[in-house]
Amino acid sequence: MDEGAPSATRRGALAGAGSAIATALAGCSERLWSRAGTAGSEQIELTIKTVPADDDLAAAKIVSQFRENLRDAGIGVTHEPVPEADLYRDVLLDEEYDVFVARHPGIEEYDALRGLLHSEFVNEQGWQNPFHFSDVLADDYLDRQRRETGEQRRETIAELLEYLGDTVPYTTIGFPIEIAGHRAGIDARRTLSCPGDYFDLLCREPADGPRDGPLEVGVYGDRLGQRLNPLVVDRNRIDGLLGLLYEPLVRRVETGPSREETRVDDENGDDTGAGSQPNWSDSGTETETETETERVPWLAEEVSWDERGTGSEPRLRADVTLREGLEWHDGEPLEADDVVFTYRFLADTSMGAVDGGVPAPRYRSQGTVVETVDRLDDRTVRFSFGETSRPVATTAFSIPILPAHVWRDRTELVADQRTEALTTDNEEPVGSGPFEITDITIDRIELEPVEDHVFREPDDRPEFLEGFSQYSGISFRIDPNVGTMMDSLLDGEIDVTGDGIPPEDIGRFTDAEDVSTVTGQADSFYMIGYNHHHPELGNPRFRQIVSRLVDREHIALDLFNGFAEPATSLGSLVGLSDDEFGPNGRSGEGTGDQSQDANEDEDENEDGDENEDEADGIKITDFPGTDGEIDVELVRSLFRDAGYRYADGELLE
Amino acid sequence: MTLAAVVLELALVVATMLAVATLVVVGPRPVATALSDFRWRLRACLLPLAALAVVLLLRWATVDVVVRLEREVVGTPVTSYLFEFERLVFPEYPVAALQSFQTPEVTAYFVFVYIYGYAFLLLFPFIAYFALEEMEELSTLIVAFAVNYGVGLVCYVLFLSMGPRNLEPTLFEGLLYDAFPQSRTLTNQVNQNTNVFPSLHSSLSMTVFFIAWQTREKYPLWVPISGVLAISVVVSTMYLGIHWFLDVVAGTALAAASVYVARNYTIESAVGGIRGYLDGRLGRNGRPDRD
Repeated sequence: MDEGAPSATRRGALAGAGSAIATALAGCSERLWSRAGTAGSEQIELTIKTVPADDDLAAAKIVSQFRENLRDAGIGVTHEPVPEADLYRDVLLDEEYDVFVARHPGIEEYDALRGLLHSEFVNEQGWQNPFHFSDVLADDYLDRQRRETGEQRRETIAELLEYLGDTVPYTTIGFPIEIAGHRAGIDARRTLSCPGDYFDLLCREPADGPRDGPLEVGVYGDRLGQRLNPLVVDRNRIDGLLGLLYEPLVRRVETGPSREETRVDDENGDDTGAGSQPNWSDSGTETETETETERVPWLAEEVSWDERGTGSEPRLRADVTLREGLEWHDGEPLEADDVVFTYRFLADTSMGAVDGGVPAPRYRSQGTVVETVDRLDDRTVRFSFGETSRPVATTAFSIPILPAHVWRDRTELVADQRTEALTTDNEEPVGSGPFEITDITIDRIELEPVEDHVFREPDDRPEFLEGFSQYSGISFRIDPNVGTMMDSLLDGEIDVTGDGIPPEDIGRFTDAEDVSTVTGQADSFYMIGYNHHHPELGNPRFRQIVSRLVDREHIALDLFNGFAEPATSLGSLVGLSDDEFGPNGRSGEGTGDQSQDANEDEDENEDGDENEDEADGIKITDFPGTDGEIDVELVRSLFRDAGYRYADGELLE
Repeated sequence: MTLAAVVLELALVVATMLAVATLVVVGPRPVATALSDFRWRLRACLLPLAALAVVLLLRWATVDVVVRLEREVVGTPVTSYLFEFERLVFPEYPVAALQSFQTPEVTAYFVFVYIYGYAFLLLFPFIAYFALEEMEELSTLIVAFAVNYGVGLVCYVLFLSMGPRNLEPTLFEGLLYDAFPQSRTLTNQVNQNTNVFPSLHSSLSMTVFFIAWQTREKYPLWVPISGVLAISVVVSTMYLGIHWFLDVVAGTALAAASVYVARNYTIESAVGGIRGYLDGRLGRNGRPDRD
């Protein structure tokens, strides 16, 4: 290539140009490489799944506030309404979601938190850790409280709650106060949310004497009679219906005087004007008039406990004796074998055919406290609970007992992690309760009495069932929506509403002459669940801020017209509603300011702790804004403090 | 009110409307003539009627399968897109804007139109076109309805969406079921709340109006009546919080397309086309030996 070699000047010029290009390319290429090599920061995006307003008006309203606040905070939000049964399938079975807002059925005992949060359930279905939360420290608290009793357990729970207050695996918005309407002649004392409430009402004589006809209960919704399988979560249901059919060994019921809100019961409808709100906020006295929770031996005649284990190795055992003469609705005897079968079946519905088992998605955490279950004779079953303490072990007895001769054949695996037992519609439920289903149509479900049921004999039944039954059966009338259900009550076609009514409609009942209302605080609560597999939702600092973007007080007052109790204490933020850790609980330190005046026994030391908590600057219940709308600058500064940044108003990954 | 009572009331009101409109728009004589020789008329539109019947039967018979298919397998959730579109394109949500004119009278009018007016609008053309000398218009109407229902069915399986009132009860009110909860007894029988995109209320109403325009020389009076009713139905679906703006747009587009199809293709030609195609395929591949 020497021919016609360029002159020195040309060569120099070429060299100069070459090096200039090389330099320019080098500088440029660094930029190009780094741009090509790293994806740009993108806006954080979340999809919120919830039910449509048809299924739950309150949930839809909560989400609309939450969605707007997330959007104002710079997060890309997609709001996806999903019909109720499908939401449960997405969230609890398939775990396909980022964030969901739904109503949790309620926490019966502290140990239920173990089911919700323990990492041993991380791959299970149902309300077993649907968040993919796994934390060794939380696991340790959850395991400890299961073994402990008394003050020691209370302290462990308090520590656990404090820890959960920082890690925020999910968050609670509040506890709705349910409103039901009933005809004036019906002695309804509480809303119908669990089987115990139905029994309570069935035992109370109506004004015109015992009735030779069914109690007419109004409910509303779609496809309510289609799936009657007590083991599945993805179904539309009538609260309490399957509990009336399938009975537990020991039933948890509410007894005693009804709640203070039932003052509307004194039949001078005046003091229940549309504007009246339950006065839960000026707490103090009414907690004493609240109902007591009691555990009534149901299928069990007797439970005898044996806590003899040695001091270092406690072993808890219980022998359960069944009532005499128990029968299934198809006439087969209900025996110890059915009980043993049920506990083993719920732990593995494939009965050993699948490696690792296919546990039922319901009654799971109660089931895991039972170590072994064995038949002693036809009427006696021995449970052993290992190190589990008695209050926790007791919860195992509220699992409904299934007929072995029906469910034994439903072990075949029909899909991944689904046996036939978990997919069947169970169209003709064979239960053991004092009523059986005789007819299901699109707008009715009829329950007729089982004539020779043991609870028909006044001598053999629990005291709780005194006066059972003032009605021959129960007839559910299914209306398509809440408005038609309310019309049915006003027209006198039903005696009582089984599903609650929206607070803004209460005036329609209180204005009517021969209709009254009752209200009651259910255990259930509205929650926001986070999928910890989402890149940002795995970060507790992110969850802490997101959990603050709902104005709990505002929601309770404005969206629920006061018919809800906002989560204020650490306990209520994870859904506990009891007197100890609940919204107005004794141990609600460090969060709500409501409980503090009422608590005289708070000493200096605790006050000191509180200031420390506040110094940490994290109070989930502190809403960064007013009246449900966030202060955008304040929220941005919170996210910045947590290590996030903004570009063009968008929160970046 | 039970379903039977709601249906009876609907039947009475719509029958009255149909009777009055028949007398005024069609006149008693053509109807009497048409009734006297109904045989050939029916025979003339037998195929389109059969097609419509098949589509409706399919829709009715597969409702459980379709619901599961839509919700568990193929359905794509699109509600948030419909909502986002309105948020980004309009200064105010169209549904909320319409609802800002809300008075009890306006609500009553739109509820009436949505239920009774709609039923009347769909049924009256059957009478009117039946009374004509030729059955061409009636066939067009029936084919267009069948196309509407058929395409609607496919869309409902593919797109899982919910109406404004279901997504956002704080912005949009569910006026229909607040004002007239019994109507749900009726709509529950024929629909699910996830069948939103496109609006079949809009598409069927606009179909009737488009065909009324094409037959304006025969029934000039029917054009303004059907126009006012059809547009009222379209507006009512949004005013009552049931449909999004895009549902209505898609419904109107579907109406135009179905009328075009019904005008330009007949069931015979469609069947003939399919047969020809199959013959061609089979002739070449299926039965090569015969050649």
